[in-house]
Amino acid sequence: MTNPKPLDGLRILDSTYVFALPYAGGHLADLGAEVIKIEGPSRPDVTRTGGYAGVFADNDHGEDWWNRPSTFNLINRGKNSLVINMADPEGRELFKEMVKISDVVMENFTPRVMKGWGLDYPNLKKLNPDIIMVSNTGYGHGDGPYSSYPSQATTAELSHGMANLTGYENGPPSKAGASFVDFLATWTALFALGGALKYRSETGKGQWIDIGMYQTGVMFISEYLLDAQLNGQESERIGNKNPHRAPQNCYQTKGTDQWIAISVDSDEEWQTLCSLINKPAIAKDPKFIHLNDRIKNHNEIDTILSEWTQTQDKYDIMHLLQENGIAAGPVINSRDIHYDKHFVSRNFIEKVEYPSDRNMGTRMFLGRPYKLSNHPLHITKPAPKFGEHNEYYLKTILGLSDEEFDSLYEQGLIADIPGDREPSATFDPLQRLEAKTLADWDPDYKKNLGI
Amino acid sequence: MLNNVFENLTILDISEDVAGSFCARLFGDYGANVLKIEPVHGAKLRTQAPFFENDTHHEKSFSFFTHNFNKKGITLNLESTIGKNIFKDLASRADLIVESFQPGRMKELGLDLPSLQEINPKLSMTSITPFGQTGPYKNYKSSELINYAMSLIMSISGVQGQQPLKHAGMQAEYEGGLFGAGATSISLFKSGLTGIGEHIDVSITECVASTMMATQSIYPFMGGTQTRRKAEGSNSEQAAQATKDGWVVWQTGGGASWEDIANFFEAPELLEPKFAVREQRIANGAELDEIVESYMKTKGKWELFRKASEARMLFGVAQTATELNECEQLKSRDFYHEIEHPYLGKINVPAELFKYSLTPFQMRYSAPTLGEHNEEIYIENLGFTANQLVKLRQTGVI
Repeated sequence: MTNPKPLDGLRILDSTYVFALPYAGGHLADLGAEVIKIEGPSRPDVTRTGGYAGVFADNDHGEDWWNRPSTFNLINRGKNSLVINMADPEGRELFKEMVKISDVVMENFTPRVMKGWGLDYPNLKKLNPDIIMVSNTGYGHGDGPYSSYPSQATTAELSHGMANLTGYENGPPSKAGASFVDFLATWTALFALGGALKYRSETGKGQWIDIGMYQTGVMFISEYLLDAQLNGQESERIGNKNPHRAPQNCYQTKGTDQWIAISVDSDEEWQTLCSLINKPAIAKDPKFIHLNDRIKNHNEIDTILSEWTQTQDKYDIMHLLQENGIAAGPVINSRDIHYDKHFVSRNFIEKVEYPSDRNMGTRMFLGRPYKLSNHPLHITKPAPKFGEHNEYYLKTILGLSDEEFDSLYEQGLIADIPGDREPSATFDPLQRLEAKTLADWDPDYKKNLGI
Repeated sequence: MLNNVFENLTILDISEDVAGSFCARLFGDYGANVLKIEPVHGAKLRTQAPFFENDTHHEKSFSFFTHNFNKKGITLNLESTIGKNIFKDLASRADLIVESFQPGRMKELGLDLPSLQEINPKLSMTSITPFGQTGPYKNYKSSELINYAMSLIMSISGVQGQQPLKHAGMQAEYEGGLFGAGATSISLFKSGLTGIGEHIDVSITECVASTMMATQSIYPFMGGTQTRRKAEGSNSEQAAQATKDGWVVWQTGGGASWEDIANFFEAPELLEPKFAVREQRIANGAELDEIVESYMKTKGKWELFRKASEARMLFGVAQTATELNECEQLKSRDFYHEIEHPYLGKINVPAELFKYSLTPFQMRYSAPTLGEHNEEIYIENLGFTANQLVKLRQTGVI
């Protein structure tokens, strides 16, 4: 007998856009919740346009480009789709009816919006006394000086202090990854929601969860804040080095743009490394014997190590060093991860098969970074088509007649084709390779992946 | 009546690193009774820089402090037979154990979840390790850089022709802690209903990789592998740019139209067709950079930040740690909470991650000094006598 999933029976209204809370919604669907993605007829999620670093399935707009982008499909897996115009009072009435029969409402409008619509927490509570509301904004609700400022993760990475610490030695502040702070908000929401659900099950009371992405980002540099506050010290940008381990860096290996990260933790490990690269003379060189000397002469070590790594395969280096007790790992790119035996063995990247009418075939998506021993989880179904479940929610669940439903369509209050949006362009992979905006292109990716 | 969401939970934190410690602390922030159990000589995290007054004393690590407040602390040698029995006694009344040993270590100690569930079926265990509990790399050594390298993020960070670049600090470990807390929180909601706990296996590299949704999915959608940005210029909105007094970044895509942005930079030439769409702005990036940088070099970063907000433009200012310690926005959100620590003095602690309307964050305890609550836990809670405690100390159990 399989156990029911942790969130079976929970209904979540997910009126959120872009990455942070939509991704939380996708994870909640994996956990068994019924997650209803709410979009507006002329306000589809921006990830549906293929912007925001997405591409279209087979690099093709197809007949319904808005259902085909990669990031949209990854984030919104397992959800249902209901498209209603919240900017219209009649649309809001439908939303309110849904609130009455839901457990959780998630939203990421700027602070004034839900209040302006009479849909802030005190008002939602009137409709459904034990509702749990999750709000995510750039800077958090309240009366702080930036509360009304617009914000997205990519510019926020400077403001929340991360970029000032990140970057090459002597270089400018840098961002890393993509939309970093969004995902801190994603998981803050899951943590907070688990607690609120537990509390509700024990007390019968719902509540409002107010997340400001800015402070989730600042939290992640706490030790630097204390160093500045109590020691008066600001850290410098040091690339991939570590002030207390040496050598630690990233080195080029055999192949094009292939790299290995190596991190040596002790004088003994340094001796082992020297013997593995067959440099007994270097092992005895007093310039490198002790940690402090290796830190001082790090650049010289980097040259020596690079000469060796350039002749080797990055995975071979990892296995060799790890078998000898030294921390090392290849820089894994978006192709590698699909074939890496470790991630494959954990089924971290999951196959999702689309119904034939979607013309999407089978695709693969990041699963979850955790496993629950009593609840084996998997992505339950593909991301929904725009408005795919309008009829189910409005007729079957809310009991609207055919005439009422058709009239909503005619008034443009509900829709299954988004208005006022254009897809981003598709592109020629060969041109992108030449322009160096792609590292690599594998025309046989489907065959290689078995999809 | 519960005043806090996790108030009726007891958590044993035997982790020695950032990830496990941060995970357990988050539960303590919202009411859980968290007991930090350290080896007799202290958790490994106590040796991690930066330190107060740059002194490596075991009570002066900022990393240990920041991930261990809102906990009580005892010492206990889990390798001794008496130590194991004491741990089992504690586990018999706990809801959750958080640990970060090498996979298999808990079983070697006889303290794996199936063994402990024989005495307490509602018990759960969260294990947070670099590669998770299964798979060929599970026992590989790691560090922050290795976690970053193996989780896609470095392959797109930094610039072409130079090394892939990691974020500063301990971001992978922090993510392991927060994401692990998220999975655990939902699991505990469920086990609260069923009375049956479970094992939660969290992989730090998978936590970081799961933030790479736009990067991963490109390959199974069209075969592409993402790369790092080009070294030259800002690449349209990607790189920090200099002002009179610091670094900033701006981007399109907010409430501001391209015309609003041209007005912001007082540069009507930005309305020329060659800057009309994103692809052209990248192609003509050098010229674009020159226009906006020549304007921003004459202005201060805060002045630009305020002006950008009025234009509804997405805009970031590179803040230093010192600036963040003084930030009025963070203060308005009660981000900082004050507490006194016997070695560090009075601290404005970065503390509150988010707000619950009904059950707010509480700053209850400073990080425990090594063995600070030994007498309270061993004598008052577990019923040892003062003499027995002396003996436990002498025999290296605590």
